[in-house]
Amino acid sequence: MSPERIATLVARWARLYTRRLPASIAERRIEELGADVHDHIAHERGHGVGDRRIALGLLSRLVRGLPADVSWRGRHSPVARSVVRVALVTAAILLVPLVAMQLSGGVAWSPADFAVAAVLIGGTGLLQQLAARRAGDLAYRAAAGVALAAAFLLAWTTLAVGVVGEPDDPLNALYAGVLAVGAVGALLARGRPRGMARALLATALAQALAAAVALVVSLAGTPADRLGSVADVIGVNGLFVLLFAGSAWLFARAAATGRGRAPFPAPRRSGHRDR
Amino acid sequence: MARRKPGTLLPIETEILEAALALQRTQQATFHGFGLAQTMREQRGSRSLTGHGTLYKALGRLERFGLLTSTWEDAPTTEGRPRRRLYALTQQGAEAAERALAARPAPSSASPFPRLAPKPA
Repeated sequence: MSPERIATLVARWARLYTRRLPASIAERRIEELGADVHDHIAHERGHGVGDRRIALGLLSRLVRGLPADVSWRGRHSPVARSVVRVALVTAAILLVPLVAMQLSGGVAWSPADFAVAAVLIGGTGLLQQLAARRAGDLAYRAAAGVALAAAFLLAWTTLAVGVVGEPDDPLNALYAGVLAVGAVGALLARGRPRGMARALLATALAQALAAAVALVVSLAGTPADRLGSVADVIGVNGLFVLLFAGSAWLFARAAATGRGRAPFPAPRRSGHRDR
Repeated sequence: MARRKPGTLLPIETEILEAALALQRTQQATFHGFGLAQTMREQRGSRSLTGHGTLYKALGRLERFGLLTSTWEDAPTTEGRPRRRLYALTQQGAEAAERALAARPAPSSASPFPRLAPKPA
């Protein structure tokens, strides 16, 4: 074990934990550590310290500094910070049913329920963080917030109680289609406000179409087969139509002001090559 | 990891400021990471140097607090070795170091505190 090998290890570790950080921050840390390690080796050798002891000293400094390196990385990486924040909030929300299950027999969540809730809450939170960080316009952030809240509520309602009839009613599968329209539209728009406005408008129309299908099926059956009152179906679905349409309007406003920036990178043009 | 009370410094930050003040008193207006780690080791009477991550993370915080400033060493003075980041105490940092020293209980040994390290490499 030579000091130079440990120096290489220190440099590799520094390159690893500074990956994808802003260049100025990463280069400063890598260069500063390189000078430190060089000075360390030169100083110890100048004082007649053996190579093995120098290497052990360097390794010890590397290992003892690891937790600080990881925490420093988290501080400089907005993505890591967002993920930690969302994970903590998700865990805190899921603690509520967990504690309620210990206190009352009326709450009975299965591990699958917790897993689905974690994915729903965590996924919504991550998308919200993405929109809030990248978008420079209040209208864009409000639009994203309304769209995410509506999508979360629709998914939760469909899975927990069913938007129409019982949760296991096949007609509730229509609402998975509504969410799919929104997700595919957002991906195609890559977060750009004009495209997002179209995607949310399509989602609102899909919601209205699902409501119409549910009403027709319900009214065609016997009274016993009906999926609740017409007012209930129109009321619940109408609320989601309004939310999606409202979000589309806010995205259109963000597009008109031109300040809302896409949270996703623009697609590459064909024929263009990165250097 | 030690938790910070509002308006206070962590032990590692106080230790850095005290070492920086000790270096300043030997007419070294600026210092670099390894030199500082050596001085801290001397002052602690320890055999080991502060971990890389711990040291540079704390230096970054002190810079953000306005207690230290830093610049890159001029390229022509680096004599074939990697250039160093040179730190200096600000007026506010020197005052904080003085306060930390004044608040420190008297050393039990006969040797005066702070002990000063030999000039860093």
